Amino acid sequence: MAETTRRGSREGRRWPAHLLLTVGAVVTVFPLLWEVLTSLKSFGESTRVPPTILPRHWDWSNYATVFSSIPFAHEFVNTLLMTLLRTAAQLLLCSMAAYAFARIRFPGRGPIFLAFLAVLMVPGELFLLPQYQIMQDLGWLNSLQALVVPGMFSAFGTFLLRQFFMGLPVELEEAARLDGANPFTVYWRVALPLARPGLLALGILTFLWSWNDLMWPLVVNTDPAQMPLSAGLASLQGSHLTDYPVLMAGSLLATLPVIVVFVAMQRHFIQGIAFSGMKG
Amino acid sequence: MSIDTRPTAAVPAPRVPAAAPGDARARRRRERRFLHRDKWWGYALIAPAGLGLAVFYLWPVVETLYYSFNDWGAFGGTTWTGLSNYRTLVTDPEFWHSLGNTAIYTVLVLLGIPLSMLLAVLLNLKGMRGTGVYRTLYFLPVVTMPAAVAVVWRWLYNGDVGIINQALSVVGVHGTYWVSDPATVHFAVAVVGVWMTVGYNMILLLAGLQSIPQDYYEAASLDGAGRVRQFFSVTLPLLSPTVFFTTVLSVIQSLQVFDLVYLILGANTGAGITNPAYTDGETVVMLFFQKAFYDNQRGYGAAIVCALFVLILALTAVQFRLQKRWVHYG
Amino acid sequence: MRRRTLLTAAATTALAAGCGGPSASSSSSKSGRGRLTYGVWDVYQMDAMRRAAREFEKTRPGVSVDVQLTPNGTYWTKLRTACTSGSAPDVFWMNGPNFGLYADAGQLLPLETSGANAVLDPDDYPADLVSLYRWNGTQYGAPKDFDTVALWFNKELFDRAGVDHPDASWTWQDLIVNAQRLTDRKRGTYGLAAPVWAQEYYYDSIAQAGGWVISKDRKHSGYSDPRTREGLRLWVDMIHRYKASPTLQQLTDTDATQMFQSGKVAMVQDASYNAATFYADPELRAKVDVAPLAKGRRRATIIHGLANVVYARTAQPELARDFVRFMSGRRASLIQGKYGTAIPARNGTQQTWADAMPRFDLKVHLDAVGYSVPYPISTNTAAWSHQELRWLARAWSGDESLTDATRSLTKAMDKLLAQEGKGGAR
Repeated sequence: MAETTRRGSREGRRWPAHLLLTVGAVVTVFPLLWEVLTSLKSFGESTRVPPTILPRHWDWSNYATVFSSIPFAHEFVNTLLMTLLRTAAQLLLCSMAAYAFARIRFPGRGPIFLAFLAVLMVPGELFLLPQYQIMQDLGWLNSLQALVVPGMFSAFGTFLLRQFFMGLPVELEEAARLDGANPFTVYWRVALPLARPGLLALGILTFLWSWNDLMWPLVVNTDPAQMPLSAGLASLQGSHLTDYPVLMAGSLLATLPVIVVFVAMQRHFIQGIAFSGMKG
Repeated sequence: MSIDTRPTAAVPAPRVPAAAPGDARARRRRERRFLHRDKWWGYALIAPAGLGLAVFYLWPVVETLYYSFNDWGAFGGTTWTGLSNYRTLVTDPEFWHSLGNTAIYTVLVLLGIPLSMLLAVLLNLKGMRGTGVYRTLYFLPVVTMPAAVAVVWRWLYNGDVGIINQALSVVGVHGTYWVSDPATVHFAVAVVGVWMTVGYNMILLLAGLQSIPQDYYEAASLDGAGRVRQFFSVTLPLLSPTVFFTTVLSVIQSLQVFDLVYLILGANTGAGITNPAYTDGETVVMLFFQKAFYDNQRGYGAAIVCALFVLILALTAVQFRLQKRWVHYG
Repeated sequence: MRRRTLLTAAATTALAAGCGGPSASSSSSKSGRGRLTYGVWDVYQMDAMRRAAREFEKTRPGVSVDVQLTPNGTYWTKLRTACTSGSAPDVFWMNGPNFGLYADAGQLLPLETSGANAVLDPDDYPADLVSLYRWNGTQYGAPKDFDTVALWFNKELFDRAGVDHPDASWTWQDLIVNAQRLTDRKRGTYGLAAPVWAQEYYYDSIAQAGGWVISKDRKHSGYSDPRTREGLRLWVDMIHRYKASPTLQQLTDTDATQMFQSGKVAMVQDASYNAATFYADPELRAKVDVAPLAKGRRRATIIHGLANVVYARTAQPELARDFVRFMSGRRASLIQGKYGTAIPARNGTQQTWADAMPRFDLKVHLDAVGYSVPYPISTNTAAWSHQELRWLARAWSGDESLTDATRSLTKAMDKLLAQEGKGGAR
C-alpha cells in the first residue's frame, strides 16, 4: 500500500475522533464556564433563582475584592514555595523507593510495600491530629517546615512509579549492571530517564494537590504570614454568608497557575520515547 | 491471519502474561525482573520515603486501630471497651446502608476508566491536531476547587430551574430532583465523580502510553497489523501496568469518597442531612466523619475506618492476585 | 450560629470556614506585657474584632492582641486539636451547641460574675445568653452578640396578592391562611418556605406551642410531648396539607433564604444576622421588611449568641480575663454594633446595630429579647441535633408520619443523652 494513500485515509478517519473529543470537551468545560460567569455577577444577581446565564452587568470588582481581602501576592509565594519543595521531594524520594520495590530483591520487600499501600487505604482526615501533635512536639507550628515536610512523602507516588519501572524493559539496565554499576547508579543514570513520563505525571498531580491543599495549612498555621493561597481563599467564606462570585473569582485566580503549569508540561506528553539502541 | 501477531523477531515481543503458576519459564522471567540482589541497597533506597511515611502516616493508622477498641472522647480521653465498637458497627443499619452506597458509587466510577483510556489513546495519536488543547480542557475539572464544582453541579441538577431539566423539558420529559431524589442520587453523584476523575486518569494513562517504545508499533505495522490490532496486541498489554494502577487507585479512592458527595448533597448550602436522599447518598467516610468529628464518638469512628480499611485491603489483595492473569510487566 | 454553621462546623474539609488557631507563640506575660491570641471564625466580623482589639491595646501599653481567623468549617476541628495538645488561643469565640463539650471537659476558665474581679455583670446582658454559658453553676462565657428570629416578608408579593403586611397581631392561623393566599401556583411562588431548620423554625414553633426540646436536667428528649409535636406539625402541614410551602426536595435543591431573595417565596423566618445580607443587595433592600413571628399558644423566639471564653491552659489567665471583660464591655460592643454584622449582647448598645440598616424595621429583632427562650443544649449537643435533622426530615418529606419520626427521634436522643451521663464525649 502506498504511503500517501494510507495517510489520506487516516486523515479522513480523523473527523469522528474530533467530533467525539469536542462534544466531550464541551460537556467537561461547561461547569467551569459557569464558574467564570458567576465570578462576573454581582452578589445580588448570583442569588437569583432561576439563575441568569450571562451576567446582567459584567462585574469585574469581584476580582479586585479577592486582591483586597487577602494578601494575594504574599500567599502566592508561600504556595509556590510549599508546592515546589513538596513536588521536588516526592519525585526524588518516591522514585528511589519505587525503583527498589521494582528491581531489587530483598527480604521483607512484599510486606513493606503493603505497608506503603496501607497508607492509601484510610481517609486523609485521620492524619490531621497526630501530625499536628508531631509538629507541636518539634516546635514547628507556624513554620514553612510544617507546611512542607509531611507532604514530602507519598505512598501514591511510590506505587505509581513502581508500576512505571516495572513496565520498562530490563535490557538496558541489565547492560549497565554488567558494566559494574551499582544499583543507585543504574537507577539514577538509566532507569530514571526512562521513567520520565511517569515522573511528569506524578509531578503534575503532586503540584496540583499541593497547590490546592487546604485543611493541613489551616490546621497547622495561625500566622497569616505563613498561609498559602488555598487557605486564604477559604477564609473568604463567612459563617452566615458566602459571597459566591468572590469565591469563584478567587478559585479561578488560584487555579490559573496550575493551568499554566499544565499547559507548559503537557507539551511533553507527545509520543513516547523511542528506545533507540535497545534492539538486538 | 491468526490472532497471534508478534511484531517481529527483531524486537523483543510484548510478553504474554504468565501462564499457570509453577510454569518454570514464567517464574524465571519474574525472577529476572529483579536485577539486583543487594538487600542493603534496597533498604537504603526505601529508607527516606519509608521513614517519613512511617512517622507521619503509618503510626496514625496503628493508633487508630488501637482507638477502635476504646471509647475515645473529643479531647483524647480513652477507656478500653474491647469489641464494643465493632458490635455496634455490625448492627448499625446506617453503616451497612452507607457501605452499599459506597459500593454502587465505586462500580459506577470504575466505568469511567474505559472512557479515560479512549481519551488517552485518541489524544496520543500521532499527528492529531489540537491534542494539547483537548488535554488541557479535559484536565480542567481535576484542577477546580471541589467547593466550586459542587455549587455549579447543584445548579445543573436543580429540579426546578436546573439546565438539565430545562433541556429535558424541550423534548417533553419531566426531569426529577436529581440530587434530592433517592432514585437518582447515586447516578447524579457518580456522574460528577467520573467527570472529575476522567482527566486525572487520562494523565496517568497518557504517561503509560508514552513508555511504550515506538519500535513495537513500527514492527507491528511492518508485520501488517492494523491500528485496531496494534491496540490489542501492543498498546493494551504494554499499558496494562498503568491500567492496573488506575484501577487499584480508583477502587481505593472511590471507597473513600467524601467531600464531593458531601457537597453535592448540599452540606454547604444548609441542606445536607435534611436532604431526602441523604441516606441513599451517604458514604462510609461521611459516616465516619459524622461520628468522629461531629457526634464526638471517635472510638466508633475509628472502628468504621478500620472496617473500611480491611475491606479495601482485601479488595486490593484480590486485585494483586488477579493481575497475574492480565498485567504484563517488561 | 445557624444550621449552616452547625452542619458544616466539624465537617467540610474541602470547604473550610472558621476560628482562631492555636497559639504556640503566646509568651508569658510578666509586668503587664504580653501577646494574646484571639480566635474567631467569621471573616465579615474581622474588621470589627481587629478594631476593638486595637482599642484594648491602647488601654494596656505593652500588650498586643493577635486576632486569628479560621474559616468556619475548620474552626472546630482545629480548636479541638489545639485544645487537646495545649495550644489553643488564649481567648476564643464559642457557640451554644459546642459550649457543653468544652465546659464539661474543663477546657474553659471560669469567669467571675461578682466582686472586684468580676469579668462580667450578668445584669448587663439578656438573661438567656448569660445562662447559655453557665455550666453546673459556673459562668464560663461572656456574651459577645446575639441573634433572634423574625418573619421576613416580601412587600411586593404581599401587595400583588392584596394581603396586608404581617404585624405583631398575627397568629399561626393568620400565617397559614395568608401563606395560602400568597401561594400562586401559576407563577410558581409560595407563601412561605418551611425548611428543616432548628433555630429559625422548629425550635421557635415548639416553644410557641408550649412544647420542649430537652428537659431541664438535660437527660430526656421532649420530642414525644404532644405540644412539641404540635409545634412541628405546623411546618409539615404547611407543606403537605396547605401546600403553601415548597416541598423538602425543592428546598434541598434551592436554599430557602435564596428563594426568598429571588421572590419565589413571600415569607421566610430568618435570624437577625441575615439582615446584613439582605441589606447588602440594593434591589432586595427596597422590597423586603421584617415582622415578629406569628403567635401560637404563646409568643416566642429562640435567642442564641456567641460568647468570648478563656482557654483553661492559657499562659496569661489574668490578661485574658481582662481582654474578655473589655470585649464584652460597652466600648467594644459599640464598635461591634456600628459594623452591623451582629447585634452586640451588651444591653444599651444594641440600637447601634439597628441604626446601621435604617430601611428595615429591625426593632422587631431587638424587642424579641423580651419574649425569647434559650437555645437548647447539653454536653454533646451536636450528636442529637444531627438526629433531629435526620428524623424530622423524614416527617417533612412525608416518608414517615410525624408521630413515627418523633418516636424514633426520642429514642435516639434519649440514648445519646444517657451516654453523656457516663461522660462518653470527653
